[in-house]
Amino acid sequence: MDDRPNLSRSRLAFDQGELAYDFGPEHPMKPQRIVALIDLLKTSKLWNPDDKQCQLPIRAATIEELKLIHSEAYITAVQQLSVPEEIDPFRNEIDTETTQIIMRELAEQYGFGEGDTPPIPGMHDISALIAGGTLVALSAVMGLPEGGTFTSENDRPLHVFHPTGGLHHAWAERASGFCVYNDVSVAIARLLEEREAKVLYIDFDAHHGDGVQRSFYDDPRVMTISLHETGRYLFPGTGDVLEVGDGLGRGYAANLPLEPFTEDDSYIEAMNSLLPPLVITFAPDVIISNHGCDTHAWDPLTHLELTLSSIQAQMRLAHQLAHSYCQGRWVAVGGGGYDVYRVVPRAWSMLWAEISDQTLPERLPEEWVQRWRPMWLKEAELEEEIQQALGKAPGVASFPTTFLDRREDFPAQPRRITITRTNSRTVAFLRQLLLPATVRKAFPSTQRISPMVGIFDLLHIRGIQTPSRIKTIESSAGPLLLRDFCPPSLVERLAPDSGLHAFARLPEREHQLLLNLAKSPDCALALAHTPEGEIVAQVTLAPGDDWWDGFENVYEVTIEVSSNWRSMGIAHKILDFALELDALEDMILFAMGLSWHWDTDSLQISVHRYRELIARLFGSQGFEEFATTEPDISMEPGNILLVRVGKNVDQLVVKRFLNRLQSTPHLARW
Amino acid sequence: MIVSEVMTTHLVTVTPDDSLSHAASLLRQHQFHHLPVVKFTHELKTGGQQHLPHSSWPALEGLITSQDIDLAATLGTENSLTNDQHPWEERRVAEVMNRSIMRVTPTTSVAAAAQMLVEQGLNCLPVVEYEEALNTEPEEQHDERVFLVGLLTRSDLLIEFARTLGAFEPGMNLHIPLHTGNPTSLAKMLLLAAELHIKIESIIVAPPKKGIPHAATVRIGTINPAPLLVRLQQAGIPYSFADFQLEGDTHG
Repeated sequence: MDDRPNLSRSRLAFDQGELAYDFGPEHPMKPQRIVALIDLLKTSKLWNPDDKQCQLPIRAATIEELKLIHSEAYITAVQQLSVPEEIDPFRNEIDTETTQIIMRELAEQYGFGEGDTPPIPGMHDISALIAGGTLVALSAVMGLPEGGTFTSENDRPLHVFHPTGGLHHAWAERASGFCVYNDVSVAIARLLEEREAKVLYIDFDAHHGDGVQRSFYDDPRVMTISLHETGRYLFPGTGDVLEVGDGLGRGYAANLPLEPFTEDDSYIEAMNSLLPPLVITFAPDVIISNHGCDTHAWDPLTHLELTLSSIQAQMRLAHQLAHSYCQGRWVAVGGGGYDVYRVVPRAWSMLWAEISDQTLPERLPEEWVQRWRPMWLKEAELEEEIQQALGKAPGVASFPTTFLDRREDFPAQPRRITITRTNSRTVAFLRQLLLPATVRKAFPSTQRISPMVGIFDLLHIRGIQTPSRIKTIESSAGPLLLRDFCPPSLVERLAPDSGLHAFARLPEREHQLLLNLAKSPDCALALAHTPEGEIVAQVTLAPGDDWWDGFENVYEVTIEVSSNWRSMGIAHKILDFALELDALEDMILFAMGLSWHWDTDSLQISVHRYRELIARLFGSQGFEEFATTEPDISMEPGNILLVRVGKNVDQLVVKRFLNRLQSTPHLARW
Repeated sequence: MIVSEVMTTHLVTVTPDDSLSHAASLLRQHQFHHLPVVKFTHELKTGGQQHLPHSSWPALEGLITSQDIDLAATLGTENSLTNDQHPWEERRVAEVMNRSIMRVTPTTSVAAAAQMLVEQGLNCLPVVEYEEALNTEPEEQHDERVFLVGLLTRSDLLIEFARTLGAFEPGMNLHIPLHTGNPTSLAKMLLLAAELHIKIESIIVAPPKKGIPHAATVRIGTINPAPLLVRLQQAGIPYSFADFQLEGDTHG
């Protein structure tokens, strides 16, 4: 990393007015956390308050903008509840007691209450300013006029951090969990009003991002991914794996509920097996990430046990994904985080350093520690009590002096192995639900080491074939070469046809997927390419994973033909070629047809007809349709499972396989 | 809780004269397993009774299930060569529907309805009002009729169950053990919640079951349980987060 700060394209969106988002001294979401953050940014010289180049001026969201997400009645209620009783002239005319009852009922109806989200004076204006902040930030990186004017394109921010944003629990018509207006939802809705775009929202907060998910649950333009502590024990209770979106938006909501007491390693593993493949399938134009740091072990509201090292891993991954897939366009918002002095300022300074490509110093500035440690000391005793009440191991009663956490301050959790295993299963299930097999194989779970290395020898048990066969076929658009067991070197030399983008949306990324598959020691990749070296079709054979674990000779077959080369019989020919295997009769092969991945639009046929085509294609190779309880297949009647059982497969194995088809998904909660 | 609080009132229905193919496509389109068969009031020869308070309610004639249609289709295919019966698609709903069906009224208790569903192996119960109940002058009646006001399905009960647990409201669950059924700790917990302005979304205290300790499950509508938990500890009231302990045992 470059040591010199390069701030020109990274900006911090912050306005002093946002500090008024303050529900009182007893409330856990204290604006002090932002004050301490800004102070740490200044004292550690990560951010210069006088440098206009690293700031993004913000404005309040208008009523019209808020109405893109919130109901008019709700906005009116927020405005009414914002007026302090003593200065409302209207109220003097009516009996005060009656007014109080009316106001209390209004508060109750719209989710405000003395507990979580009490109505406070000026609430509408402050919340609208926060919503506007995220809106301006997103507009700026997307090049909309609302983002402000910049002297040149190079001056336009690429990354913006809006620390007070991330009020992800607010619903269309009610306040919830400290959130009044849903700033991220409003910003995304405003962008989509202006232009077509694909927006990826990643929520790292320990609580499920229910409000944002609700806003776009049936909208395929917005993918929401939330990693959170399972709702079995934690607010708001939603965020189950099976919440995957609705209608056209099916497959565009992803939820990873993690076990309580999840630690760094398990978290990083889960995050890395999930985010990159999801992002490549969605191909967003911009990423908005919520960096709620209430996942930290010291947080008084949740049961997760992360340290700043996995919290840093979140930021790095989001940053890297933004550069790999969105030309760098990235907006980060704060979110939750209730260890006001010890965690929030460090976590979000770290986020700013990541955004602005600066190296984080090791130690916290002495003057900052001197200033904030006494504040923490006042509350340390209560914090300790809360940790205990939550069932967490007693934390270390010291104030940090370094940006990163000290490993020894976080003793291993007693149920670590169980927790890690349960999380891995949840990830596997989610991958199965949301990722096409091709993408799953190209991005294997990090936690899984396949027993199937050396697939070539397994498939050619008699050892008589040459490593990579070549066959020439004629198609109506010219001759094609078929190759099997394509090595990475061959895939690198070839280029993708412009219509090869079924899984990664863009041919060059599809090429990357194929390269990953070729590199994977347990995948067999067969390609069809033109004499000029353009790949037009592929068939992959890979051991059945996750749901199909525990068999040695069960393989999943996936097939893809470029949209420019359809209806020429190429699928039949390449499938036929790829399955010319010595070991064919010793194997069980299966293929899963999932209707939400089918390109029925460009072929202009119904799901039902597409299903028939797939059944016929695989039927020509001896595959038959089987009923199954496999979660993906059973989710939609259009989906289909096709199986070919080799003649020489042991009857016992066949029986076990058929039992598996009807087994119950093993999820943590079932 | 009574049936009218839980039942579905937006109904998809067929009439006795509809074809089986129409019924089959409705079943497929809505992913239903059964359809009530009704006649609307204006089609009835009512003998001058036009002042029913709910004249929009249709009269219940029967119930048709996907099984009835499957059976008709199978038999129709088998017999198609040997007799001159219409193809099954063209047959009328009235020919295959069930006329004598279990039914409940809007004031039936949900517990009784659930028991009927389970004991009779049914998937749904039509909810009906009888004519005499609507008529203030019973002597004017000509023939007793049954009006369909709603439908109670197993899904309705499941959704209601989840709703009763508070599952659709943002919040989190706390378990309060009730030692020998003594509700004192629950009462104290609720008083503390009231004092701290914490909303209660649902409280479940079920009769004890073998192997499961007697406890109350309280869904609290807050993101910030810490103040309540600290107070519970200070007051010596035991609590747990739902089934932490059980889970550990199952998966350990």
